[in-house]
Amino acid sequence: MKYLDAFKVLAKHRRDEIVVTSAGNSGQAWWAATRDSEATFYLDASMSLATMWASGLALARPELRIWAFMGDGAFCMNPGMLMVERAMNLPNLTHILVSNRVYGATSNAALPRSDNDYAAIARAMGLERVFAFAELDALDRGFPGVTAGNISGHTFVVLEVEPFSAAEQKLEQPPFDGPELKYRFGRHIEARTNCDIFGYRV
Amino acid sequence: MNASSDIAKRIVDELASCGVKLVASLPDNWLMNVIATVDRDPRFVHVAVNREESAIGLCSGAYLGAMGSAALMGASGFMTVIYAITKINYSYEIPLFLMLTLRGALGDHHKHHASNGLYLRPVLDAIDLPYQVIDEPGDIGQISRGYRHSRTFCRPFAVLFTRDLLRGADAHGGRA
Repeated sequence: MKYLDAFKVLAKHRRDEIVVTSAGNSGQAWWAATRDSEATFYLDASMSLATMWASGLALARPELRIWAFMGDGAFCMNPGMLMVERAMNLPNLTHILVSNRVYGATSNAALPRSDNDYAAIARAMGLERVFAFAELDALDRGFPGVTAGNISGHTFVVLEVEPFSAAEQKLEQPPFDGPELKYRFGRHIEARTNCDIFGYRV
Repeated sequence: MNASSDIAKRIVDELASCGVKLVASLPDNWLMNVIATVDRDPRFVHVAVNREESAIGLCSGAYLGAMGSAALMGASGFMTVIYAITKINYSYEIPLFLMLTLRGALGDHHKHHASNGLYLRPVLDAIDLPYQVIDEPGDIGQISRGYRHSRTFCRPFAVLFTRDLLRGADAHGGRA
């Protein structure tokens, strides 16, 4: 399925979830699909760390539901993160592995292997709630059931997508510098949860 | 309680006094008492991570959820996290509190830490990451000051624990 089409489906099914994007193309794709400037943290500077970052947030704010994207290039740099995610087993965190089988942010350069079975890797790491979608219709039908209701533990979802085309590579990057993004996002979290991140409220 | 355990308890109490809740760690032999003390203390959520960069990610995300945190690791582990710190913590100005070992310094028995003795502090200086050496029990209060400094300036700050502090001096000299 097309990368952008998959993200439009996710955006359609999003309720109030907080989103964390990854190094790779997920920031561009999510910005194109949503133009979300408050409830998404575009963690582009983060090779292999978006879901660890999101795990810290999910631990700190159990009342929020978090979706964290991870490109498969980033995933391959730190697959051991799944051991930590399994141990934390946060029911409010969904790790969405976007598998385009390339390093999407670097001109679709080849991964060391293109036939990794990410769902099998996750299960071998001990994760139980593992789901995979390769077709748009299946994603549209199945994704709401994956993330809705009372979830018993950490959720891992693999999306098999096509790499960005040359035209898609030119999609706008989320137009925020780091500190602006931090404050936009942090103020949103403060407002949603009545917590105090920055030591003062505006 | 032996001297090393007492020091570990004092370090952990100081951390708790800062409001630290999440402690992400990878082991270093010098830190084992501190890690064990954190692990059994209900004031903390202790997460044993797979690699040091994961600790940077966890602690940085926890900050945006208003949870205090500390990343605990050895000097060698720190040398692997330059990318994560300079990208995440510097790009987004997210504070981070690090507790490291001053490996390769006076009193270290292990030859393979020669590189840390040579390069740990120069690397910290090279990325403009401020730090405080904690060598005496009376310095443990610097943990709170360093933690607050990181929050005030939205930057990383590190404390470097010496062997003499964590393990006591050996038979070749130093404090008992």
